[in-house]
Amino acid sequence: MSDDLIFDVQNVTLRFGGVVSLNDVSLHQKRGEILAVIGPNGAGKTSLFNSLTGVYRPQEGSITFSGEPGRSVSVIGRKPHKLNAAGIARTFQASRMFSALTTYENVKIGAESHKGLGAVGAMIGGPATRRGEKSSDARTVELLDFVGLRGEANTLSASLSYGARRRLEIARGLATSPKVLLLDEPAAGTNPAEKLELTDLIRKVRDEMGVSILLIEHDMKLVMSLAERLYVLNFGGVIAQGTPDEIRANDAVVEAYLGSTDTGEAEKKDDSQVVEETDAQG
Amino acid sequence: MRQYLQGPLARRVGITAGVTVLLMVMTGPSGSTSQPTAGFVGSFSERSSFFGLFVTQRWLVWFGLALIVSGLIKLVKGLRAKYPDVAAIPAEVASAVKSPFQKMRSLRYSTYGVLIILAVLLPIFVTDGFWQQSLVEQVAIFVLLALGLNVVVGFAGLLDLGFVAFYAIGAYATAWVTGALPAAPPFGVHLDPFWAIPIAIAIAMVSGILLGIPTLRLRGDYLAIVTLGFGEIVTIFLNNEYKVTGGSTGSGQVPHFVFHVGPVKYIWGLAPRPYYYLTLGFVVLFLIIFSRLEHSRVGRSWTAIREDEVAAESIGINPLKYKVMAFAIGAASAGFAGVMTAAQTNFLSPQTFLLSFSINILALVIFGGMGSIIGVVVGALLVQVVSTWLDHYAPYGFQSQDLYMYLGAILVVMMIFRPAGLIPARRRKREIAMSEAGEGHMDELLTGDTP
Repeated sequence: MSDDLIFDVQNVTLRFGGVVSLNDVSLHQKRGEILAVIGPNGAGKTSLFNSLTGVYRPQEGSITFSGEPGRSVSVIGRKPHKLNAAGIARTFQASRMFSALTTYENVKIGAESHKGLGAVGAMIGGPATRRGEKSSDARTVELLDFVGLRGEANTLSASLSYGARRRLEIARGLATSPKVLLLDEPAAGTNPAEKLELTDLIRKVRDEMGVSILLIEHDMKLVMSLAERLYVLNFGGVIAQGTPDEIRANDAVVEAYLGSTDTGEAEKKDDSQVVEETDAQG
Repeated sequence: MRQYLQGPLARRVGITAGVTVLLMVMTGPSGSTSQPTAGFVGSFSERSSFFGLFVTQRWLVWFGLALIVSGLIKLVKGLRAKYPDVAAIPAEVASAVKSPFQKMRSLRYSTYGVLIILAVLLPIFVTDGFWQQSLVEQVAIFVLLALGLNVVVGFAGLLDLGFVAFYAIGAYATAWVTGALPAAPPFGVHLDPFWAIPIAIAIAMVSGILLGIPTLRLRGDYLAIVTLGFGEIVTIFLNNEYKVTGGSTGSGQVPHFVFHVGPVKYIWGLAPRPYYYLTLGFVVLFLIIFSRLEHSRVGRSWTAIREDEVAAESIGINPLKYKVMAFAIGAASAGFAGVMTAAQTNFLSPQTFLLSFSINILALVIFGGMGSIIGVVVGALLVQVVSTWLDHYAPYGFQSQDLYMYLGAILVVMMIFRPAGLIPARRRKREIAMSEAGEGHMDELLTGDTP
C-alpha cells in the first residue's frame, strides 16, 4: 500500500445471513482528500461506514487504515474505540449526541476519552487529574470556537437545532484528535443557510486541521461542491468513481438514481435533487 | 492571605508539619479503649532517647526528619520535566457549565456542614435503645449499600439484581480472616476486623470483576438475569458448604471492631453509638468520592455509555472497561458494608443474604432517584426509617411480611408520577424528558439495535 493512502479497502464483502450488504467493494482514500460516497437508499453506504469504524465485521476482504505515513492498522476485527484511538472519528446519520449532557460536556468527553483510566485519581482529585481536566477544558473551548458553538456551551445538546447538532457531532469527533473524519449525511435535516455553513466548516476541518474527510451525502449540490472525488454505490457494489464532473456524466450513475438512461433529463434534475434517507440500514 | 495559603510555600510547610505529626504519632506510646487518645497526647509531650545518643523533645527530631523528606521531595520534583501550562478556561464558559448550586460555594458548603452536624447529633437525641440499634443496622448500612448500588444502576445504567452477593462476600470474608468460620483463616492468622476491611473489599471487588468481564457484554434484561443467578449461587453456596461457611447456622463469633494503628487503640463493643459514628464517617467519605466520580470523566463516560453505547465507542470510550469499573466499585462498597455488618452484629447467617435483600436495596435507589447521590441517601433514610417503624410497632394490625407489598406499591406509584425518583439526578431527568419527547437512543440501546 502506498504511503499517501489513508484508507485502502480491498474486496470487502459484508453479509447479514443471506442478505449481501456490501459486495466485493474496493475503494481508497488519499491522505488529506475530501472523498464522498453516494448512492440510492439501501446501496450499502452506512454499512460501509460501519465496516470502516469497526461496528460491523465484514466476512471477506481487507481494510487498511494508515493514520500517519508508514503506520497502518488492519480495521477488520478491531473494536470501534480502538479504531478511534488509531485516528478514525465519525458522525452518525441520525445525529447521536448524549442528549442528557450539555454541548460542553459532549465535546469534553471526546477530548478526554484517551487520557488514561483515572477512577482512583478522580475519586481523590489528585494533581494529575486536575491537570487532565484543565487541558480537556482548553481543548473543548478551542473546538467549540472552531465550530461556532461557544455561545451554546451550556445548552442541552438535544435542544440544539439540527444544524447545531451536526456541528456538535463534528466537534465531538474532532476532540478525539482524528486523522480522518467520517460524516454520515451531515446535511440531513438542515436548512439551506445551515448547509452553506456546514460546507464551509467541513472544508475548514480539512484545510486548518489537516483531517481527511469521508462523506456520505444525498444532497447533490453539497456533494458536488465539496468532494474532490466520489464513489457511487448501488446494491452493495461500486458502480462508478471519479471527479464530480465525471460522475455527472456517467450513465450508470444516472440510471441507478433515476432508473432511466435519458441523460439529458437527468442532468437538469441532478443539481437540485435531495433524496431523503429513510432506511436505517442506509 | 488566601493567595498566601494556597501558595507553594504554605503547602510545603503544611505538608512538613503533617508528616511530623504523623511520624510522631506512629512512633509514640499506645492508647487504650477507655482513653483512645492518651497515646496521642503522650506522643507530643514526652521526651525520648534517640538511637541511645541524646534525649530531647520528640517533636524536634521528627520535625528535622520531616524537613529532610520534604527537601528530597522538592529535589525530585525539580528534576522531573515540567508540564506545559494550559490556557485557562474562559470565565464565561466556566461559569456556564456549572449549576446555580455549584456556583454558590458558601451556601453549598454550609448546607453540607449543617447536614453533617445534624447527623452527628442525631444519636444524642435518639435515646431509645431500639432506635439507636436500628440507626446502624437498618439505616446507616443501607445508605452505604444504596450508595454503592447507585454507582452500578444509576451511573452506569446496569441492572444488578444480585447485589446482595457482594454484601455476603464482604461479610463472610470478614468472618473468614478473623477466624470465625469453620474454614481456617489464611495462613492461620486471626486478624482484627479492621484489617478485614481492605481484604474484604479486595475480595468483593475481584469477584465483581470476575463476574463482570464475561457478563457485562450482555445488555438490559440478560444482565439482570445473570446477576440474579449469581446472587442465588452465592446464597446456596453459603447454605450448603457447611464445612467452609458453617451452613445454615452461619457463624456467631465474628469479633468486634478494633482500631489499632500507631498509638490510637479503640475497641468497638456492644453499644450501637460508636458503630453509628464509624459508619457515618464512611458514609461521608463515600459521598465525597462518589460525587467526585460523578463529575469526573469517569462519570461522564458512564452517562455516555448509558445513553448511546455505539456513539460512546465511536469517540474512543471502551464500554466494557467502564462497566466493569462500575461493577467493581459497587461490589467494593457492598463488601465494605458486609464488613461493617459482620463486625457489628457478630453474627452471620445465609438467611440475611436473600434475593429480597437485593430488591430492597434496588427499591431504595429507584425511590430516591437513580444516579442522584443526595436522592439515594434521602430515599434510603425515608424508606428504611418508615419500614423499621412499621416492622417494630406494627400499627393498625400491620403484618411485617406485608412490608414488601407496600414497598412495591410505593414503587409503582413513583414510576407513574415521579419516574426519575424523589430527588432526580439532573442527567437522568433530562434523559427521561428526552425519551418522552421521542429524542435520544435509550430504546435502541435496550433492544440492542445498531445503526
